[in-house]
Amino acid sequence: MRIVAEGICKSFSNQVLHEVDLAIPAGSIHGLVGENGAGKSTLAKIIAGLMQADAGTLHLDDAPYSPPSAAEALRAGVAICTQELSLVDDLSVSDNILLATSTVKLARIDRRAADARASTLLDLVGLRDVAPRTRVRSLSLAEKQLVEIAKVLATDAKLLILDEPTSALTGPQADRLHAILRDRAIAGACVIYISHRLSDVLDICDEVTVLRDGRVRLALPSERLDEKTLIREMAGADADFNARRRTSKQLADARLTVENLRTAALSHPISFACKRGEILGIAGLAGAGRSELLRTVFGLDRRIGGSVRIDADGIATEVRTPRQAIRCGAGFVAEDRAGDGVFPAQALKFNITVAGLGRIADRAGRLVRSQERSAVLKLLKDLRVKSDGVDQKMRELSGGNQQKSLLARWLHCESRLLLLDEPTRGIDVAAKLAVHEELVRLRDAGMSIVAVSSEVEELQSLCDRILVLSKGKLVAEFQPGNWSQEAILAAAFSEYVQEPQGLKQAHGSA
Amino acid sequence: MGALGEHVVLLSLVAIIVFFGLISESFFSLTTVSTLVNQLPALTVVAIGMTLVLISGAIDLSVGSVLALSAGVIGACIAVFGLPLPLAALVGIVAGGLAGFTNGALGAYLRLPIFIVTLGMLEVARGLAYLATDSQTVYLGASIQGFALPIGSTGISAAFATALLLVIAFDFILKSTIFGRQIVAVGSNESAAEVSGIDPRQVRCTVLVISGLLAGLAGLMNASYLGSADPNAGVGLELSAIAAAVIGGTSLMGGRGSVSGAFLGVLIVSVLQIGLAQIGVTEPMKRVITGAVIIMAVILDRWRAP
Repeated sequence: MRIVAEGICKSFSNQVLHEVDLAIPAGSIHGLVGENGAGKSTLAKIIAGLMQADAGTLHLDDAPYSPPSAAEALRAGVAICTQELSLVDDLSVSDNILLATSTVKLARIDRRAADARASTLLDLVGLRDVAPRTRVRSLSLAEKQLVEIAKVLATDAKLLILDEPTSALTGPQADRLHAILRDRAIAGACVIYISHRLSDVLDICDEVTVLRDGRVRLALPSERLDEKTLIREMAGADADFNARRRTSKQLADARLTVENLRTAALSHPISFACKRGEILGIAGLAGAGRSELLRTVFGLDRRIGGSVRIDADGIATEVRTPRQAIRCGAGFVAEDRAGDGVFPAQALKFNITVAGLGRIADRAGRLVRSQERSAVLKLLKDLRVKSDGVDQKMRELSGGNQQKSLLARWLHCESRLLLLDEPTRGIDVAAKLAVHEELVRLRDAGMSIVAVSSEVEELQSLCDRILVLSKGKLVAEFQPGNWSQEAILAAAFSEYVQEPQGLKQAHGSA
Repeated sequence: MGALGEHVVLLSLVAIIVFFGLISESFFSLTTVSTLVNQLPALTVVAIGMTLVLISGAIDLSVGSVLALSAGVIGACIAVFGLPLPLAALVGIVAGGLAGFTNGALGAYLRLPIFIVTLGMLEVARGLAYLATDSQTVYLGASIQGFALPIGSTGISAAFATALLLVIAFDFILKSTIFGRQIVAVGSNESAAEVSGIDPRQVRCTVLVISGLLAGLAGLMNASYLGSADPNAGVGLELSAIAAAVIGGTSLMGGRGSVSGAFLGVLIVSVLQIGLAQIGVTEPMKRVITGAVIIMAVILDRWRAP
C-alpha cells in the first residue's frame, strides 16, 4: 500500500501541523523524527483516523482517504500502535487481540481459534512465555507494549503506524520487532516508524522525515543521513539566546540539595543543587524522568534511595512528603494543570489560599475572610491575573491566568523554592512571556526555581543553568556560555542512541 | 453552592408546608410538630455526617446499621452490664466511631472502594446489633426517654436541641475553618489537594469517623425516642440521609455541598412524609412521591450548577 499526504494542517489552541507533505511507497519503512511537540504523534493520529486534519488531503493507493474514525481507517487497512497503550487491563491477551480484529460484534467467540492465533502472534513478538489467557493487568510494561504491537500485527493492515513502539523494550526485543517490520515491508506493507532512538531509525528505515514545529524540515533516504544531521534539523538554527542573558546575583549557598536520589523512573542516582536566586532548567525528552524527578523532590512520588534537603531558615531539612516540603518553603506546579493543579469548580480565592490556609486563619483554625480577600486581591494585582474578582470560579479563567494563579498559590505561602513542570504548557505566547517575566522577577528577589520544559529555547531564555536528563540518567550540565540547542538535544538523546545495534545480527540469525 | 441554591430549597420547603396546610385541616397542629420533633434529630445528625462524607468525595452506606449497632450497644450496657446511662450512651457513640474508623482505615488508607467497604459495614454492623440485643428489642425504661421528651412546655427536646446545635457547628466548620476547606479540596480534586500539602487519606478517614460518631449519636436518639434498643432501627436511613444531602445541594461527585442545605433537605423529606401520611396517601404511593422528589432535586441541581 502506498500513502501520500499533502498539505496537512492541524490546530488545537495553536497550530501544530503546517502543510505537511509525506509520500511513502509500498514496501518501505519510513521514519518520523522530531523534538517533543514537533507534531509527529498528531500526524500519525490523523493518518490513523484518531483525529481529523483541518486541511490537506490523504491518498491510499491513489484513492482519496479521510478516515472519520480509527475503525474506518482499519477497514481501509491502516492500523496504529499509539504511544499511550490501549489495552483493556481486565481482559486476557487473547481477548485484547480479538477486540482489535473482529469486525462482527455478535458472533459467538471461537475461544480455541482466538487463543491459537494469539499464541502465534505472541511467539512472533517474542512473548513465548505468556499464555493467551493471561490477564493484561499482570504483564510488565514491556510485555504490554509487545502485546499492543501484536494487536496491530494481528490486523493484517497494509499500513502500520508505530509511535514510539520500543520505549519500554530492551535491545533484543526491539531488534526482533524491527525484523518483523522488515518482513512486513518485504511483503508489500508500508510502515511509519516514530522513535526517539535515532540509531534505530537510521538502521531500519528506508527514508526519514524530520518535523520541526509542525513543518517538514527534511525528507531523505537514510543512507544520506546521520544522527548529527537529524539532531541539527530537529533543533533548528541556533538563535542567539545567550546575547540576551541577564547577569544575576546568585548567592553561594544552596536552597535545594538532592543527593543520590533514585526512583523507579530514575535508574541512576541523581545529585544536584539549586542555589538561592537561581533558575535551574531541566531538559530531556518525554519519558526521560523529568517530571518524576520534580515530583519526587516535592515528596509526591516514592523514592528508592537518596536524600532531598531544603534549606529552611538556614537549616537544611530532609523532606519526604508534600506537607514537609511546603513547610520548608517549597511549592510545586504540576505539568497537568487540570489534573494536579487547579480546583476548577472552586473560587479563585479557594485555589490561591488552599496550600497556606494557616496564613488566613486565627489560632483556633477559623478562617478570617477579610484577611483572605485582601491577601488574594494583592496577589492577583501583583501577578496581573485577569479575573472578575476573588469569587470567580477557576475554570472560567484562561490557561495563562490559571497558571499565574497557581504561582500565586505558592507566593501566598511565601515559598522560596518553586518546582515548575512545564510552566508555560498550553498557554498563548503573550501569557508565556508574562509568566517568564514573573519568574525572572521572583528570581531576582531571591527565589530559587527548578523548571522542567520540553522547549529548549524556553530553558535557554529563562535559566541560569541547564541539566539534561536522558533515560532516567543525569547526563550533562550546561552553563550559559556553552549551551547550544544542538548540544542540549544531543545530550538528551545520548542514552537512547547508545542502544546496542544488534539488528544486523538478528537478521543474520533469522 | 451559591446563595441562590439554598433559597430555592427553602422556597420549596415553604411551598410544601403551604400545600399541606391548604389540603389537610390537621396539618398545622401540635401533633404534626411533635411527630416532626421526634423524627428529626436522628435523621438530621446522620445527614450532617453524610454531607461531609459526600463532599469529601466518598460515601457512607453503613449509617443506618451503625445507628442500630449503637442503640444495641447502649441497650446491652444498660440491661446486661448495668452501666449508668451517660456511660452507656458514651460507649454506644464510641462504637459508632469505631465503625467509622474501620470504614476510613479500609477505604481511605488501604484505598479499597468506599462504596463496597461501607456496604460491607452495613451488614456487619447490623449483624453486631442483633448480637448485642440477642435479636430482640431491649426495653430500657423511662430514664433514657428524657433525652427525647420535650423540655417543659417548649415542645423542644434535648435531642432536638442537640441536633440543631450540631447543624450550626458543622455548618461553621465546613464554611469557615481550615478543616472544612480541606474536605472540599479533597472532594474537588484529590491530586491537587495532595500537591497543596493536604493528606487526602487523613481527611477522608476523619470525615468517616465523624460520620460514624454521628450515627452513634443517632442511635442514642433513636433509643431514647423508643425507650428501647431496637436492632431493626434505621433500616434504609442511609438513603434518606443521602436524599436530604442531595436535596440540600450536595454533589455526589464531591467538592460541593452545605450542612445547612442538608438540614433543609431533612425538613423537606420529613415534612413530606408526615404531610402525605396525614392526607391519607398510602405507603407505596408515599415512596413513589418521595423518590420523585429526590430525582427532581437532582435535576434542579444540574440546572443551577452545570
